[in-house]
Amino acid sequence: MSGERFDCIIVGAGPSGSIAGYLLAQAGLEVLIIERGSFAGSKNMTGGRLYSHSLEKIIPGFSKEAPVERKVVKETVTMLTGDSALSLDFQSELLGEEKKDSYTVLRADFDQWLAAKAEEAGAILASGVRVDDLIIRDGRVTGVIAGEDEMEADVVILADGVNSLLAQKAGLKAELKSDQVAVGVKEVIELPANVIEDRFNLNPGEGAARLFVGDCTKGKIGGGFLYTNKNSISLGLVFTLSDLGTEGLSVPQMFEEFKQHPAVKPLIKGGKLVEYSGHLVPEGGLNMLPKLYGDGVLVVGDGAGLVINAGYTVRGMDLAIASGEAAAQAVIAAKEKGDYTAPSLAHYKRLLDNSFVMRDLTKYQDFPPFMENHRIFNQYPQLAVDIFKDLYVIDGSPLKPLKKTALSHMKKVGIVNLLKDAWKGGKIL
Amino acid sequence: MKKIVACYKWVVDEADIRVEGKERSLSFDRVKYKISEYDRNAIEAGALLNEEKGCQFLAVTCGANVETSLKDVLSRGPESIAYVNDGALGEADSLVTSKVLAGIIKKVGEIDLVICGEGSSDGYSQQVGPRLAALLGYASVTFVNKLELTEDGIRAERKLEDGVEVVEVTGPAVVTVLPDINKPRIPSLKQILAAKKKTAEKLGLDAIGLDSVVLKEKTLSISGTVMERKNIQINSGGMPVEEAAQKLIQQLKADGSLA
Repeated sequence: MSGERFDCIIVGAGPSGSIAGYLLAQAGLEVLIIERGSFAGSKNMTGGRLYSHSLEKIIPGFSKEAPVERKVVKETVTMLTGDSALSLDFQSELLGEEKKDSYTVLRADFDQWLAAKAEEAGAILASGVRVDDLIIRDGRVTGVIAGEDEMEADVVILADGVNSLLAQKAGLKAELKSDQVAVGVKEVIELPANVIEDRFNLNPGEGAARLFVGDCTKGKIGGGFLYTNKNSISLGLVFTLSDLGTEGLSVPQMFEEFKQHPAVKPLIKGGKLVEYSGHLVPEGGLNMLPKLYGDGVLVVGDGAGLVINAGYTVRGMDLAIASGEAAAQAVIAAKEKGDYTAPSLAHYKRLLDNSFVMRDLTKYQDFPPFMENHRIFNQYPQLAVDIFKDLYVIDGSPLKPLKKTALSHMKKVGIVNLLKDAWKGGKIL
Repeated sequence: MKKIVACYKWVVDEADIRVEGKERSLSFDRVKYKISEYDRNAIEAGALLNEEKGCQFLAVTCGANVETSLKDVLSRGPESIAYVNDGALGEADSLVTSKVLAGIIKKVGEIDLVICGEGSSDGYSQQVGPRLAALLGYASVTFVNKLELTEDGIRAERKLEDGVEVVEVTGPAVVTVLPDINKPRIPSLKQILAAKKKTAEKLGLDAIGLDSVVLKEKTLSISGTVMERKNIQINSGGMPVEEAAQKLIQQLKADGSLA
């Protein structure tokens, strides 16, 4: 066996790794995908939604064969205070059009399917194996080390996730900083399909996506999310690591309070907790982008920090898939030239630069610092709720004109702050 | 060169079985399969003997849906596998299973040693090993926690309730092993890759001399059990500790927990 050698070794069988493996194997390369979990998807986590466009391009009509849960036709953003909730609800046929559609997914099923596609195409998948280190000779990555075993390849694609220790070992990135990542926790709560459809006003097969901001993170940076699956609801919280502990509440405690909120509790009533998970989420955007390639090595997906958090949407998997595709194209071009040095693999960066990945990341590059403004998470939800409270809470006391009450609430935040944030937010979005 | 076979059962991972409702019915909706726990010890025992002494070592299994297990088992040491995959074996009991396994082993031929787990993770009937010995006409050695090859047979230590029995067998044998005989390996990258190149021989029931499978036993229902707690509070009402301790001792004696 010692003579065995691959064109490409991919570390990690998430969406980016499996797509890279799928395309490389289709192109006739000898590919090995190494997965730490006992099966692809066993260690992976998502809030719950895949935007289909980038995968649709590679596997047209994938949603008909892939284990997707529900097609999202309804988007809701909810601002929470301790006792109130104010929601903005968007329901549209436009959300479901081909190549613009998005699907709720559960990764244990979805990642297995995608990895199986790569295997069908001819990639070799080895699960239950941890890659401990890279073989680096004269500054060039030439393979991987897993336990006692060494395995050589012309090029290694690192698809090992948000905390990519291998990308650090390859010198592509530094250790994560606490303001670059958030911690996400999620419960999968089982409910019958018809209950979900009744509760969220959905037709069979249709799904809802909800984001929550405000009291669910006690006014700190982060938010709550809810996605409807076929027979379950994914409910979770994302909380920026640097803000953790400042409220004296642990993430599980905050999550419990979120579940007890009067606007959330009825949504999950009668459900049965079937799964609990936690994971890091890259949140730094363009500002945390590592070096994407080196001699004999590329980094893709979460490992490259390819996640866009735009407040009202969070995207990771569609970027991961596009990065896996770009990496595969760069490796195929490198093989044709027989040149796996950094200048040759720089093609990967050019492909990403010319794709929606970098375009969108650049568009939102100022968003992560903007979101670090705590007013968004504590004062604005309160302000919005206060204004609506004055409109709708009738107790017989004399009514004041809306203009006047709204202004008095806005003064609490500070008109200047408000204008400043509105201007900044408007500019970024 | 000695020829060794390890038998294994491809079972439902019990962690995935859910007990549902008042009837405590079992839900197998999202179950995954695995190699039965003690059978991993059997495979490891064979792999170690092979690595030490240089034997011929293969795995054998049967069932209704065992083909997904082949890569897994081959990464754990066997050089090849012979198996029967037949829908009729879905409900196979120990009698049927041991008949099929014996058929495969005879078909392979000239086996010196058969290693089985003491019992399976699901049924744990502990019957397949001894039944196989009877069907093959081999010696049967159970409860083995130490195993070595001798010139013309094996030497085994049997861990019994009140002691250890060392036995020597001349000629072929079927041994059933306990979980403390070894620590099953986690297959390495190279072992996983090597497994993909090993041979798997699929045999039909007819090829091993069985025309059909007759089940004499039929499972009517399976349900979960729950241990009911008595919920006795000894010191409710804030009685003194000494008194509560006395009361606890009496309660434990009444329950037969204390002699």
